[in-house]
Formats: sequence, structure tokens, C-alpha cells
Amino acid sequence: MRQKNGDPRMNQAKPQKQIIHQDLALDAYLRTLLDEVPEADEEALAFVEEPPVVRTAPKPKAEPVKRIETAPVVIRQQSNLVQPENPAKLQALSVMPEWAQHEFQALFFKVDQLILATPLIDLSRTIKLERKPGKIPGQPSWFLGLLDDQDSRIGVLDTGQLIFGKSRGGQRNLEENPFRRILITQDKKWGLACDEILSIGKLKPEKVRWRTSRQKKPWLIGTVIDELTAIVDVTQLVPHRKKEYQ
Amino acid sequence: MSEDRKQSDPIMQWVTFCLGDEKYGINVMQVQEVLRITEIAPVPGAPSYVLGIINLRGNVVTVIDTRNRFGLPSKETDDASRVVIIETDKHIIGILVDSVAEVVEMRASEIETAPNVGNEESSKYIQGVTSRDNQLLILVDLNKFLSDDEKAELDMF
Repeated sequence: MRQKNGDPRMNQAKPQKQIIHQDLALDAYLRTLLDEVPEADEEALAFVEEPPVVRTAPKPKAEPVKRIETAPVVIRQQSNLVQPENPAKLQALSVMPEWAQHEFQALFFKVDQLILATPLIDLSRTIKLERKPGKIPGQPSWFLGLLDDQDSRIGVLDTGQLIFGKSRGGQRNLEENPFRRILITQDKKWGLACDEILSIGKLKPEKVRWRTSRQKKPWLIGTVIDELTAIVDVTQLVPHRKKEYQ
Repeated sequence: MSEDRKQSDPIMQWVTFCLGDEKYGINVMQVQEVLRITEIAPVPGAPSYVLGIINLRGNVVTVIDTRNRFGLPSKETDDASRVVIIETDKHIIGILVDSVAEVVEMRASEIETAPNVGNEESSKYIQGVTSRDNQLLILVDLNKFLSDDEKAELDMF
């Protein structure tokens, strides 16, 4: 049972080869754990997942050092040491996309009062939302409709609803308070409606708290530590169209 | 035009109508006539998408509230409102629309499948989308506009 619970000492004795850029990942992870997130900013914290502790691991008593030792080992367990009870929980930093392994450019934008960031590499362009998208009957309220732009037909999404959920994001009156801009995805199939585009900045991976589990809110890939800005993985935020439409 | 293209990419005609800001198209072959608004008698106990019935030259025809069906807010009828009499699977029904626009021709290849990000049922009657005059045209498959159960229910009015 000790093995299943992830005894750090035992696991450390058998290092694994699977993690790419392990040093980088570990470094980022350690920094993340050592950085205390202020509790006052509730809005930002709403997007920060709980600390990535393995379900089966014995609960450490607020001793960050122990958790630091435990977490990277958990990734190693995946292959041959112990079969985890919930493998998806143990994906940890190996799920970081390629762009997140190095310094990357991110576009900062605003939805309602929340500032979000997304890697520039996942976007093709941004446009002003000057006319209403054509609404298709029978679709969920977060699907604002279709918009023809240049040579593509873009499915426009209510980013507020996708991020805040229908209960909060769905309260917005789009007639009185329409979105002003659209971020268009790299494949030009989807547009994320937003209020304002703020800036483009460079982010270093170690300045980001990367999520180790993306079972909930898979679109939230991490948080910029200094500003507590959520980083959105747009490839996970957009729905996947049916095959016939691709 | 070659015979091959006529067969592989046929031209279809669509009657277009407006509901709110959107324009829709229905197959002209299924449209029997277009009426100005007449008195629509409500039917007690009818589902919410049924506005009522009209007397069309001695035949009772059920009129569907298309706005309700498409999830749009209701609107008072006005001079532009029309009841489009259509035939779907041997059922004659009327659909109330804000206005009827025109008849357009288009090739099958111009029609794109509409994205369905909701459940399959919710928009099964959307046949596809295309663009006309810089506006999205949503094509409605009238045969799927009502389910078999719903059509059977209409026969009881």
C-alpha cells in the first residue's frame, strides 16, 4: 500500500526517462508550489485549480517541501512502478504543449472584467465584431452564430459563458452590451468573442503556474504567477465540430 | 453546362423568409402558397409551438409559431408577416414568419453543413448554411421541422 500511495523515497530511487524537458518542468513546478497565492483575489483564484496533489498520496501537513518531493515522482509512477488508481490525474507537466516549453508570446484580452491570456500561436488574427453573427436555431446559448470573414465561416463563441459558465456568463445582455472583438483560432473555424484586446507580451514558462491536471476546465492551462492571469488553451475551449463540417 | 454537372451539382430553388435578423430558406417544391395574416384561431391545450388553426378554403390548417420553434422571442404580427403553407410528409401546415423575401437559386455545392455544437435533436431540421448578399442564409429541412409524433398530434386539431 505504501507503494500505491507514492512513497517519495522509494520512487526517487528509480528515476524515469519519460518526461521531456524534465528540468524545466520540475523547476516550474517547484516555483509554483513555493509561491503562495494570495487569497484575497477571489476572481483570479476561481480559475486556479487546487494544488496538484495526487488523490492516493498521504496528505502532507502543509509542508511544501514534502509535496515538492512527491509531485514529480507521481509522474514517474505512470509507466511501470505502480498502476495509479486514476491515471488521468497523473498527467502532470507532461501535458504541457510544445509552445509552453519555451518563452512564448501571449495575447492578453478582456472578457467582462477578467483579463485572460492565450498563446499567440493558437490564433490567426483578431477582428472587430461589427455585425451580429447569424444565429443558428437549436444551438446552445454560448454559440453566438456564424460569421463570414474573408474566406472563412467562423463559429463565434461567447467566451464569457464558456469560461464563467451559463449561470454567470449567460446573464450578459448581448443586445445592450455586445462583445467588440473576436479572436480567431489558427484553423479559422472559431472566434472567441471578447470585450477588449489589451496587449501582446512574452511569457517565460517559469513565470507560469502550470496546471498538473486538466480534467476540470481543460481550457485552463495555467496562471501567470505575477498577475494571476489565467492562460486559456483555446484548442481546448472551442467545441469540436462534427466530422461533416470539418 | 454539361449533363454531368447538372446531375452531380443540381440547382435548387429556395423560398427565403426572415425571422428577426436571420434569413432562412425552404425548398420551393414544398411551398404551396404564401398568405397574408388572417385570423388564427387558438387551439386549447395545443403545444406552445402551435399558434392555432386557419380555414384555408374549407380545410383546417395548423399554423406553427416558427419563432417559438427556433427559440426566438415572440413578436407581434404586422403587415409584413406571412403564413407560408407548406407540405411536409403529406401534412399541410402553415408556418408564421416575419416576412417572405424572395426565391433564390443555388447549387447543392454551395450549401455547407451547419455546425451542430448542441445535441443532435435540437437542430436536426437545419439542412445547411450558405451566404447570399453578404448574409448568412440558413436552409431548413421541412421534413424534419416536426417530428413524426408532432405531426400526428397536429392531425388531431
